[in-house]
Amino acid sequence: MPLMPEPPIPAADALDEEVRRHVVVTRWNDLIATVDPVTSWGRRSSLWPLQFGLACCAIEMICTAASRFDIARFGAELFRPSPRQADLMIVSGTVTKKMIPMIVRLWDQMAEPKYVLSMGACANGGGPFKEGYNVVSGVDEFLPVDVWVRGCPPTPQALLNGLMELQKKIDEESFVGAWKRRRRPEVEVPALGPDLVDRRQIPDIRAAAGKGEAQRLVEMKLKPVLKPAPKAGPLSSLEASDAALKDAGMKLAARVGADHVQAAGHALVVDRSVWGQAARVLRGEMGYDFLANLTAADYEGTLEVACHLYRTDQTGGQLAVKVRTDREQSEVPSVSAVWPGADMQEREAWDLLGVKFTGHPNLKRILLWEGFAGHPLRKDWCEAYYEEPRKMFSSRWKEGRVRPGETRVRWGRNVIYPDGFDPSTLPADDAVPADSGNADDRHLPVSLGPQHPSTHGVFQVRALLEGERIVKLEPVMGYLHRNHEKIGERNTWIMNFPYTDRLDYLTSMANNLAYAIAVERLAGIKVPERAEYIRVIMAELTRVVNHLWSIGFLLNDIGAWFTPSLYAIEERELVLDLFEMAAGSRMMCNYMRFSGVAADLPEGFLPAARTLVSERLPRAVDTLDKYLTKSEIVGSRLRGIGVLPRDRAIAHSASGPVLRASGVAYDIRKAEPYSIYDRFKFDVVTAPGGDAYARFLVRLGEIRESLKILDQALAGIPEGPVIEKNQYLLRPPAGEVYSRCENPKGELGFYLVSDGEGSPYRYHVRAPSFINLSAFDEMCRGHLVADVMAILGSIDIVLGETDR
Amino acid sequence: MGETLFLDLKDFALAVAAALLPGGLLASVSALISAGAVLVVAPVTMMFLTWVERKGVGRFQDRYGPNRVGPFGVLQPIADGIKMILKEDIIPDGSDRLLHNIMPVLAAAPVFLLFLVLPFGRGMVAADLNVGVLFFLCISSMQSPMIISAGLGARSKYSVLGSMRAVVQVLSYEIPMVIVIVAVVMTAGSMSTSEIVAAQVRDGWFVLTPWGAFGFIVFLIAATAEANRSPFDMSEAESELVAGFHTEYSGFKFALFQMAEFLSAFASAGLAATLFLGGWQGPGFLPSWAWFGAKALGVYFVLVWFRATLPRFRIDQLLALAWKFLFPLSLLVVVAAAAWYFMPLLPALVTNLVLLVGGYGLLSSWILSEFIRMNAPRAVPDAR
Repeated sequence: MPLMPEPPIPAADALDEEVRRHVVVTRWNDLIATVDPVTSWGRRSSLWPLQFGLACCAIEMICTAASRFDIARFGAELFRPSPRQADLMIVSGTVTKKMIPMIVRLWDQMAEPKYVLSMGACANGGGPFKEGYNVVSGVDEFLPVDVWVRGCPPTPQALLNGLMELQKKIDEESFVGAWKRRRRPEVEVPALGPDLVDRRQIPDIRAAAGKGEAQRLVEMKLKPVLKPAPKAGPLSSLEASDAALKDAGMKLAARVGADHVQAAGHALVVDRSVWGQAARVLRGEMGYDFLANLTAADYEGTLEVACHLYRTDQTGGQLAVKVRTDREQSEVPSVSAVWPGADMQEREAWDLLGVKFTGHPNLKRILLWEGFAGHPLRKDWCEAYYEEPRKMFSSRWKEGRVRPGETRVRWGRNVIYPDGFDPSTLPADDAVPADSGNADDRHLPVSLGPQHPSTHGVFQVRALLEGERIVKLEPVMGYLHRNHEKIGERNTWIMNFPYTDRLDYLTSMANNLAYAIAVERLAGIKVPERAEYIRVIMAELTRVVNHLWSIGFLLNDIGAWFTPSLYAIEERELVLDLFEMAAGSRMMCNYMRFSGVAADLPEGFLPAARTLVSERLPRAVDTLDKYLTKSEIVGSRLRGIGVLPRDRAIAHSASGPVLRASGVAYDIRKAEPYSIYDRFKFDVVTAPGGDAYARFLVRLGEIRESLKILDQALAGIPEGPVIEKNQYLLRPPAGEVYSRCENPKGELGFYLVSDGEGSPYRYHVRAPSFINLSAFDEMCRGHLVADVMAILGSIDIVLGETDR
Repeated sequence: MGETLFLDLKDFALAVAAALLPGGLLASVSALISAGAVLVVAPVTMMFLTWVERKGVGRFQDRYGPNRVGPFGVLQPIADGIKMILKEDIIPDGSDRLLHNIMPVLAAAPVFLLFLVLPFGRGMVAADLNVGVLFFLCISSMQSPMIISAGLGARSKYSVLGSMRAVVQVLSYEIPMVIVIVAVVMTAGSMSTSEIVAAQVRDGWFVLTPWGAFGFIVFLIAATAEANRSPFDMSEAESELVAGFHTEYSGFKFALFQMAEFLSAFASAGLAATLFLGGWQGPGFLPSWAWFGAKALGVYFVLVWFRATLPRFRIDQLLALAWKFLFPLSLLVVVAAAAWYFMPLLPALVTNLVLLVGGYGLLSSWILSEFIRMNAPRAVPDAR
C-alpha cells in the first residue's frame, strides 16, 4: 500500500499559534490585551450609581434596588450620595432647566471613568413634558449619554437591561484608551438667564439677540385667545341653589360695604380695595379658617385671584371668593398674614401669572428662577415649542405631518431669548446664591439639595446653622417644575389623565380619581356602580402603598440603612401587580376615565386582591407596627420633633395626615364625601402630638382603616358596566369647579375653568405636597440638621406634585 | 489538627532564614515575618468583610446581594478594588492638597497596628506587649485626628460638619470603653492580651459573669460608636451629611477610608472576643485561630446586624447616651467586677445583679425620657 503523502504541517505557524495561546506576553499589545479584560471586568462589576433621583423614574430606580429585582446582584447597589465616589449617573426623570446646572455640576464632580445612563422618556428627549417651558429636551444636550433606557417610566427590568448594556459597552473598552482620555473636559455649567443659556452658545446668542433673531424660526399661525372673565353682578342675581353663598355674601357685604361684594358664577367677587379686610372677616367672624386653594386665572384685561375656603369645624360648605385686578398693573393685597397657607400659593401665582401681591413678606419666584422672562401661565405667553392654543395640533392631525419642536426654534432646543439679551452679562457661576442667609462667624449657611440623599427628589433646603441648630430655613423648589398646568391647558380634557399620573407618581390611581371627579362635577357626569367600587378599591390600595412607602423612607431619613423601606417596597410590589393587572401599567396607571374606568377588572383580580387585603397586608402592617412603633430609637428620634400645633396646622392649610396628626379630625372622605365613601365604615385617624411621631402613627393607622374600606368594597362590589360612555372629546359646559379629594398626601384639588371648548381654559392643581411645605420652616426652627430630614420625611412630599 | 499551622510556617521561614543569615538578625526577621503576616491578613480580611457586609445586609433586606462575580459573588471586593484603584483621583481646587493626599494613608495605617496585639490563636500574637490593651486603645484613637484632618482638609461644609461630629463622638465613647476595659484588666491582673486570654482559660469567659455581660454590652456599643458604624455613623451620616468627612474623596482614597473603617470595626470585634469571649479558646475540634476568627466574625456580624436594622441616633442623643448611660453603667461594671473578684459566689451574684440590673433599669428609663426632652426645639436667635 503506497504511503499517503502526509499533509504538510506548517510548523512555524503552529508554533506561533501555540506560543500566542500559552505564552501570552510576547508583545506589548498582548500584554495590554490581558490587562483589558481584567480592568473592564472590575469596572463592569462594580458600577456604583450616584444616589440622585429626578422624578418618577427614580421610584423605579429605587424599586430596582429592592428585593424583587435587586440591582445588588450586579454589584451596583452601593448608591453613593457623593459624586466623587460614584461611577454611574442614572439620569432618572425629567431634566428641567432649573435643575440642569446642578446635574452638569455633579457630572463634572464625578471621577473618571464615569458613565451616564439616561433613564426614561424625559431624560431621553423630554418625554411627555417636552413642550414645557422649563424642560430640557434630553439630557444629551449637555452630557455624553452612554446608554438609553426607554419607557415612561422604564420598569426595573428595563433599567437592569440598561445596566447590562452598559456592561457590554465597558467590556469593549480598552484600558489604555481609557487611561489616555482619563479626564474628559468639564462640561460648562449652563446659566439661568431669561431662559436656559448654554455657555457654549453665548457668542451666537448674543449676535442673534442683538439682531432680534433669538426666537422662533416659524411664526405662530394660531395665537392664544384670551376670554373675558365671567360677568359679575349683584348678590341678588344669585340663584336659589346658591342660598348659602348668598348668605355668606350678605354677611360679608355688611362688614366691608355692600357695593364691594358681588357675585359671578358660583363665587363672590370682592373688590380688591377691601380684600385684606374681607379676608380678616372671613377668617375671624365667619370662621372660614381653612384656605384650601389660592390661585389666579388670566382673562381678557383681568387677572382673577380665586380662593376656596372651608371651615374645619363643619362639613362641606365651600366658599369661593374672587378678587379681580387689572391685567397690566396687577395689584392685590396679600392675605398671607391672615392665612399663612397663602404665602407660597401667592408666590406661585406671582411666579406663573404675574399677580403682584402687595404686602407679601417675600414675593419671590418660587417654581422658576429670578430673572426668568415673563409669567408663563398667562395665556399670551408662548414657550419655545408653542404650536397652537389647543390640541390636537394640526401639524400632527389631518395632514399627518409631524414637525418636531426642535425644527421650529432657532437653537434646536427648547429655548427662546428676548430681543437684545446679552448673555455675557450673566454671572460666571450661579452655584451659591447670594441670599442664602447672612453668614457671619456664628452662622453657617448650608444648602441641602437639590441633590441630597434625603430630600426625596430634587428639593433644596437652604439652612442657616448655628452649630448644628437651624436658625432659619428656606425651602427652594421648582427643580421638577415641568409645566403641568401650561401643558394641561392645551391638552384635551381626557389627555390630562396620564399627566395626573405623574403629579404624585406614587399615587397615580388616586390622582386619576381626583381629576375624574373634578371633571365629572363640572360636566355633570354619572358613574356606574361597579366603576365607583373599582375606583374606591384603587384609591385605597394607593393609600396603603403610599403610606407604606412614606413610613419606610421616613425611617431612611432618620438613618436606617434602607431595610424598612425595602420591606415596604416588597409589599408595594404586590399592590403594583394588582394595578398592572387592571391597568396594564404598574406605576403610571392612567386607569380612570370620565364616567368610569378604562377597563373592567381582569379575571383573577378580585381573589388576588382579597387575599392580599385580608391576609398579607394586615400582617405587613403589624410587622411595621411591632418593629417601629415601640422602637426606642424611632421614638427618641421622632417624638417632639417638628411640632405643628392644631391652630398652626389649620392656618398653614396643612392637609391629610399632617393635619390629622395635629389633632384635627378633618378628612374629606367624611367632611365632603365623594364617590361612594359615605357607604363605608371607617374612622378618621388622628393623633394629638402634632410631631413627626404622630404623623407616623396616623399613617400607620390610616393603612389599617384603608384595609377596612377595602374589605368592605371587595366584598360588596357589584356586577355591571364599568363605564357609562367613553368620552374622548369631552366639552364640559362653560363654568368652573374646585373639586378636592382626600389623597394619601392630603387634599388634592383641581380648579378647572371651562370655556366650553375641548380643553380646559384654566387648569390648576392644588397639590398637598406643595402646601404642606409652607409650615416647614416653622417646624424646623431650633431643631438640629438631622431633625430637618425627619421632619421632611414626616411631611411626606413628592416633588412631582410639589413642583408640578 | 492544624493548630500549629501558622506557627509551623513561621518556624520554617525562620529556619530558612537562620541558614541564610547571621544569627543576630533572627529577632528582626521574626518580627518582620509577623508584621508581614499582618500586612497580608488585614487587606484580605477587609475584602472578606465588605463581602460579608454586602451579602449580609442583602439577606437582611430579603435579597441576594452580589452574585454575578464568582460563586456567591465572592470576587466582588476584588472587582471593587480594581475599579477603585483605576479611578481618577480628584483633588478639589478648594481643598488642602497636602492633607487631601496624606490623610487617607494616615487613617488606614494605624489600623494595621491594631492587629499586632490581637492574639489570633494560641501563641499567635505578633507582638505580645505587656501593655497590649493600652497599645490598642492608643492606636485606635489615632484614627480620629486623621478623620478630622481629612474632613477639614476637604473644606466642604458637609465634611467639616462630619469632622466636628467625629471629634465629640470619639472623645465621648473612649471613656466608657476604657472604663470597662479597666474592669477586665483588674480581674485578669494584666494588660497583655495573651494574659487576659490566659486568665479566661483559668476563670472562665468573662462574658459569663454578670459584670462581664454588661461590660461586653457597654464595650460593644462603645466600639460601634468608635468605629463609626450605624447606628452611630454620625460623621458620615448619609441621610444628613451626604458622605460626611469623606464626601470629597474619590477612588482609592475613599477605599482607604473604607478600609480603615472596616478593619477597625473588625479589630474592635477581635478585641471584644479577646477581652470577654475567651479569645482563641474553645473545644478542640477546631484549631484555636479558627475559634478566634469565628468569635471575632460573630461579633462583627452583630455590627452588620445593627447596621441593617437600626436607624441612627442624633448627635446630641449620641452624646447623651455616652455620658448619661454608658459612663455611669461602666462605673457600675467596675464596682461589680471588684465585688465579683473579692466576694464569695452568692453575695457576689446578689451584689452584681442589684448593681447592674437596677442601675441599668434606672439609667435606661432616665435616658429614654432625656431623649424625648432633648427633642424640644431650642430657641435660637433669629438671624434676620
